[in-house]
Amino acid sequence: MKLFKFFVSKIFLRRIIPGISIILLICLSNYITFTAVRTVFSTYQGYQEIRGLNQDGNYIANLDPNSTIDFGAIELDKTTEVYNYLSSNFDYAFYVDGFMVSIPNRDDMEISLCYMNKAHYDLTQFNLSQGTGLTFDYRFDGNSEIPVLIGKGLSKTYPVGSTIDLEDPALGQEITLRVQGVLEQNAYHSNYYTLNSKSYYNYSIILPVNEEFLNHANLDLRVNGLMDIVILQTTNEKISDLRAVIQNTLGLKLNFFGQQDNNEYFNEYYFHSLKIVAVTSVILLLLITCLSVWNAMVSIRLMLKDLTINLLVGLSYSKLRKMFYSYFGILFLINLVIVFSITALNRYGCWLRKDTTFVTYGLFGLIGIDWLSLLAVVVTDIIIGVIVVECMLWRIKKVPISLGVLQ
Amino acid sequence: MTKIIDLSIKEKIYRSKESRISILNDFNLEVVAGEKIAIVGESGAGKSSLLNIIGLLDRNYDGEYTLFGLPTNHSDASKLAQWRNQKIGFVLQESALINSLIIEDNIKLPFLYAGAGKKGQKEMKDFESIVDAIEIRSILKKKPLECSGGEKARAVFARGIIMKPQIILADEPTASLDVENRERIVALLFRMNKEFNTTIITVTHDLEMANRHDRIIHLERRK
Amino acid sequence: MKKSLFRLADIFELSVAYAFCFSLCLMFDYVKTLEMTSDILTSFFRNFLKYQTMIVILSTFLVAVFHYQFSCRKKIEVFCRILVGDTLFNITVRYSLNCLMVLGFVYLVFLATNAYLGFDLTKNLYLVLIFIVYILISARQVRKYEAL
Repeated sequence: MKLFKFFVSKIFLRRIIPGISIILLICLSNYITFTAVRTVFSTYQGYQEIRGLNQDGNYIANLDPNSTIDFGAIELDKTTEVYNYLSSNFDYAFYVDGFMVSIPNRDDMEISLCYMNKAHYDLTQFNLSQGTGLTFDYRFDGNSEIPVLIGKGLSKTYPVGSTIDLEDPALGQEITLRVQGVLEQNAYHSNYYTLNSKSYYNYSIILPVNEEFLNHANLDLRVNGLMDIVILQTTNEKISDLRAVIQNTLGLKLNFFGQQDNNEYFNEYYFHSLKIVAVTSVILLLLITCLSVWNAMVSIRLMLKDLTINLLVGLSYSKLRKMFYSYFGILFLINLVIVFSITALNRYGCWLRKDTTFVTYGLFGLIGIDWLSLLAVVVTDIIIGVIVVECMLWRIKKVPISLGVLQ
Repeated sequence: MTKIIDLSIKEKIYRSKESRISILNDFNLEVVAGEKIAIVGESGAGKSSLLNIIGLLDRNYDGEYTLFGLPTNHSDASKLAQWRNQKIGFVLQESALINSLIIEDNIKLPFLYAGAGKKGQKEMKDFESIVDAIEIRSILKKKPLECSGGEKARAVFARGIIMKPQIILADEPTASLDVENRERIVALLFRMNKEFNTTIITVTHDLEMANRHDRIIHLERRK
Repeated sequence: MKKSLFRLADIFELSVAYAFCFSLCLMFDYVKTLEMTSDILTSFFRNFLKYQTMIVILSTFLVAVFHYQFSCRKKIEVFCRILVGDTLFNITVRYSLNCLMVLGFVYLVFLATNAYLGFDLTKNLYLVLIFIVYILISARQVRKYEAL
């Protein structure tokens, strides 16, 4: 330890410029690794989620990007016709989120309301930390309570069994919700066609939508519901009919993508993108490794005399190797703490900005994918560290220990 | 006898954060052409500093210095550089070689600064004769790190005399050499003195070598 | 044999260091021009683009490392050249001019690339200023090696 302290303070840190340079290089490599791995994990999570919906015979709706919509021209009665057509001809998973309400809560967050029908709920399979699952057979009248699930952030203010009174933006009337269960922390929903982005349910209320509820809902909920609707276990012909009905009735041009379409899309679009992310990251990491080795060689050139003197007075190569590994270990640790701090600050920033759909809970503020990405950073650091240290030792061993070096 | 060096130093000061060291207090030196002078004294007495001053490397002192009858204190740097190139030769320890250049280029380095007309046949002849005299032909294409200590010392010596300087300043030229190489260097040094009336000023700790000079100057460290 | 402190390997090393910083700058500008239809790629590159200037400026530290090690390595050479008739002033000026020439050459190459790709030619001018500052600082470092 004494020897290590001596080496760090009197030899390694005396060449401060290469020292800072290696820290910056490691920092960049850590940031690249962290970002790339988190992107991959996040996309994988989204893919896993959509895999539940993307079954043979299921069709996921998506608004045709080339179409123009005139929302003002859509009438409520016409949407009722469409939903009646849907109910009589199909099973469908209905999901809408993003309706915001203000209700009292400990962290003064705005609350996001998510509406889903039984089919969607069954496919999603939420894990609950308290209470029981949703029931969809409630009666919808002015006085009844609607059973709901809430996110972890609301569970202290609204424990299981308590009620929440709010004016529902989708119904445009006061309703009473009864808390039926609490979702596991950091439960999320990925966007169907943006798999790497997700909304967290920690400050959300999940409302069960049944036919009666939908009949009372306003235009916004109905139209938004159609845009992401998933038609279950049907055929291509029936989907063509549905597309025509929606277009003729509402003027909405929707595309419905079946399992094959989606798989092709994911293969072409996501896996291709992930490949670019991976290849770019690997190239950058290789480049950084080369620069780190160059930087290490420069340091050796400058430290050669000091190292030779120490080798002359009894320092062994194995001890030197241990010291280099310890030194780089400390540098990697410093950088790991930097990446950890940046991530924790970003996560904390969501709390400060009261970003309802992004706030998360986790150990020291970091969630699962953050920790996994940090683990990947550690692995990358170990690989770079081994390459750099071994190159340094190879370079030192190449120089014969002699008075010539000292002179 | 021509007086070529007339040096009068009141004080030379080295300053660091913690201390202020004053050396060469009221030091006077007059040297005539062809004289062989040894400078001895304990470490820190100012031997190498004196050599730096005589060799026009250091003008940061309180005093007057006249070289070849011309005052140097207010001469411009390029004039002093020209004198270092043509009138003064430095023979230092073996480490004073450029490692990235081969021995030949190291020896010919002074030609580069000698200006037009100094790279002609005569210079090449001088180079060839010196190379043969000090027996370093075999290492001309080698880099310093590939040479032994004795070979490097001889290369440094060759560079110091290649311009046939009127003064040779030698700082411990034989300190790290074996007896054979030491004798070879000393013999070459004195041969220069004998053949070309070159003034030799040597800093050394070796009293036996000092005794072979015409005059010994003993520097003492200020208590 | 030249009066310059630079050998071919040094010129190559310095050129690569400059080129790395300029190409990083160029790469960011290039990525910005790509019409990315993929959200994954957009969000992935956004993570770097938002820190673009900081990353590029920090990458210039590699050039600082080059100057630092170069001036340390050339200590003896500077001393030897002074011994045989060079002046510190000339060595410093020559060193600065050599660095500027390498910088100028690399900059011109990237200027031409920027022009070819239709990018703003003044975009990486700040890098040139940073490199000039490094050259001036390192020239001061070279001046320290007058006497050993």
